[in-house]
Amino acid sequence: MEGQALQFFIACVTAAGFGIAISAFGCGIGQGLGLKAAVEGIARNPESSGKVTVTMLIGLAMIESLCIYALVIALILIYAHPQASVIAGLLGAAH
Amino acid sequence: MQLSINYKMNEMDIQQRMLVFINTANWILFLATAIFSMLYLSLDYTLGVIIGGFIVTINFHLLARTLRHALNPNELKSPNTIIAKYYIRFSITGVILFFLISRHIVHPLGLIVGLSIVVLSIVLATIYAITQHIQQKEAV
Repeated sequence: MEGQALQFFIACVTAAGFGIAISAFGCGIGQGLGLKAAVEGIARNPESSGKVTVTMLIGLAMIESLCIYALVIALILIYAHPQASVIAGLLGAAH
Repeated sequence: MQLSINYKMNEMDIQQRMLVFINTANWILFLATAIFSMLYLSLDYTLGVIIGGFIVTINFHLLARTLRHALNPNELKSPNTIIAKYYIRFSITGVILFFLISRHIVHPLGLIVGLSIVVLSIVLATIYAITQHIQQKEAV
């Protein structure tokens, strides 16, 4: 039973690590592609910089929020898991 | 007053209109969710909504400033400054979120609701822009 409880915490930390890694990878690629297209657009047509900047701002804010969600979920998994105290009780280390 | 606002909104292009709509909707949603949670939900949930909303709104405005300085030919700044500012903003957000969750200062669900305010206002702005576009096409 204790072994299973310990496995639960190990799985939580692993999931948090992989989760934030995958989300950072995806958001990095997404932001990079968006930025590349915007810079190319502005280089071809500098007058359109205002329009392109606003459109990119909206896109980047959406992408960035996904990464922040992943960070919050990862932190919840490690520090504020709803079942953590119950499982810790099984380990004999309830707080 | 309303007519002059409508006239100004029509004068602006669609991107600027969306940005104005997002900024306005952002503060309205923030106030609405904060008041709702203050009235009907617990204190740590309310704190989560308010702090999450503030974090994401300030982040959005700072991102707008950074992009303006990075891409607008009239306001260009050094690339190093822009990259440094971007990483400082991101790390401060991460540290604040870490302390909020690890010290159990806020309710995680409230924090997620607060962090969703900007996304929600962007979705609302997109729906508004699509509706305007359809109405304009129907009028033509």
